[in-house]
Amino acid sequence: MTDDFVPRRAIEDDPVDAPDAATTGVPTPGVPATGVPGTAGKRTERPHPLTPFIRGWVVLLAAIIAFGREFVSFDPNRRLPPVPWIVLGVAGVALIAAVAGYITWRFTRFVIDSEELRIETGALFRRSTRVAFDKVQSIDVVQPLAARLFGLAELQIDVGSHERFKVRYLSLARAYALRDYLLARARGSQAELAETARSTSVLTDLNEADEVLIKVPPQTLLLAAVTSHEFWGIVLGGVALAVAGLATGQWWLLLAAAVPTISGLFGFVTRRVTGQFNYTLSRRAHGLRISRGLTSLTSQSLPARRIQAVQLSQSPVWRRLGLYRIDIEVIGWGAVTEDEDKSGVSSILLPAGTMEQVQVALAAIWPRVDFTTVPLEGAPKRARWLHPFSQPFLRWGHDDQLVVSRHGWLVRRWQLVPLARVQSVRIEQGPVSRRLRLADLAFDTAGGHIDVHASGLDAGPLSARQTELLQLVRHHVGPDVSDPVVPDAPTEPPADPQTEGPDALRADQADETISSTE
Amino acid sequence: MTDPFTPDADWQRLPQRYVSARRLDAVVSNVVLTLVVVLIVGFTAGWSWALWAGLAGVAWTVWRVLRAGRWVRAFGYAERDEDLLITSGLWNKRLTAIPYGRMLSVNVESGPIDRAWGLAQVQLVTASMQSAGNIPGLAQADAAQLRDRLIAAGEAQALPL
Repeated sequence: MTDDFVPRRAIEDDPVDAPDAATTGVPTPGVPATGVPGTAGKRTERPHPLTPFIRGWVVLLAAIIAFGREFVSFDPNRRLPPVPWIVLGVAGVALIAAVAGYITWRFTRFVIDSEELRIETGALFRRSTRVAFDKVQSIDVVQPLAARLFGLAELQIDVGSHERFKVRYLSLARAYALRDYLLARARGSQAELAETARSTSVLTDLNEADEVLIKVPPQTLLLAAVTSHEFWGIVLGGVALAVAGLATGQWWLLLAAAVPTISGLFGFVTRRVTGQFNYTLSRRAHGLRISRGLTSLTSQSLPARRIQAVQLSQSPVWRRLGLYRIDIEVIGWGAVTEDEDKSGVSSILLPAGTMEQVQVALAAIWPRVDFTTVPLEGAPKRARWLHPFSQPFLRWGHDDQLVVSRHGWLVRRWQLVPLARVQSVRIEQGPVSRRLRLADLAFDTAGGHIDVHASGLDAGPLSARQTELLQLVRHHVGPDVSDPVVPDAPTEPPADPQTEGPDALRADQADETISSTE
Repeated sequence: MTDPFTPDADWQRLPQRYVSARRLDAVVSNVVLTLVVVLIVGFTAGWSWALWAGLAGVAWTVWRVLRAGRWVRAFGYAERDEDLLITSGLWNKRLTAIPYGRMLSVNVESGPIDRAWGLAQVQLVTASMQSAGNIPGLAQADAAQLRDRLIAAGEAQALPL
């Protein structure tokens, strides 16, 4: 098993005999620094020595779960191999994983100091990545269960490319210290790493310095989960199967329906509740942060300027309860994760909350707009032919900063996109719409997982409206929607893309600063 | 014309010879696709089904060839002061407006069929994957000029993301 790989060395005192250090011209550990104040000498750092053990453990757990599933979904026709074999197989898998983990750990080094952020990985194919401090977009500290048991955490660095750099595992305090330091550097301030390391004495995800904006208690998550449309979808599927069983007189279908339905419901609710457990949206000097999770703890920073679009959604029962969920589209984050359990970055801004909390969350990311004050207009009556159920609910509108579109029938959706994030505006019309003199308006944003559109609009004046919208897209002056409203000091310098240098004007890069989220 | 898809602007149409290129393109791509489908259906479901699949493929090809002329005439683009308008489609009409400042890059592409007619396609790339700014079937010289004009306009009016 993995016990062979219990750490034998401390992090810093690694002997120089390692072939990797000799062959690659990488600064060898222990070589004294050339005048870097505040640090104990320039040195490369290794992840925590327990790392390979934890990685082996994760694989072991996965193997056990996989075999467990086989046992649970017991099929009388298939014979399982004898138990010792299974144990042997699991142990073998874990051993291989541990060896691989050890090698990975052995050859992973990183430097985070006042000069550089560099990560070196790979045993056979050596790779050294250096990241410019000001290109760091957001940093997440993720603790899967196994790592959490040992007080370790994974540092995920998002630089806006598709790849997220991961450093795993570090002690939690170290991970938080590095996170705070890197976020401070990303904002352009010259923070002292050592200092932040000392001040961060964190046992929980939250620091006393944080301003807590929203907390979602577990009972709200539970309530939201059992009243969500996904939950009732699973129930309906089971009921349909059961009815089919009753109708055909095949009683075994009842059992066949009940087992997966109940386990599906249980899985769904636990995923929602544990994944978003203790959800907290907080604000600190470096920006917004979301921390959540019961078994695995995630603390992700939220780069407000990179948020392209927002979608509020409301399941049918949530209307009675006054609950909403907010998803966000962040450039570079990839798909909108529907899976709440996924530790790591998630596109959920608010798993379930009241309208007040929705407004707090939106004010946190876009302090300069208020979607409730945007004047909306309804869809013409004839849109009922195309949108029979949702027509009374269809609304869209915009002010000079924000486009709001409301649609949906069972699940109601509000889509918000600032005009400053709109890439292009498109009018679309199919054959049926043409008969009805209707058309849709689509707003393309970077990323494109939230498809912002307004349906069932009167086609006549639409091209004039399109031109009007484009005027607003182009001629928006003044601060960005994500800029804070009242800067406490008049010396407010954060990068205003209107006035910054050419770099800030590059459309693909201009959102790089997260400075505006302070 | 009071069509909301062609508002007042200086609309540029595609050259007539693009119709031929589009027809050939439709024939080639459809024939390949139909053959593949026919073979798959033939080997899995039987050759009588494959006959129907082949007929459907032929009908679809004829349809595309016939529609190519109207499609090309319906396509248009207009370079306004600050944005590019593209109108297209017969059944599913769309009018896309892309501000020059949002363009990241402009590509000029031309495949073998396009080249046989001396044509090229101009493709606008924005940060969004959906804002499909494609202008097919331009004369190659026009395409290069359009690209340069678009890039110049984009650099002059760059917008922050």
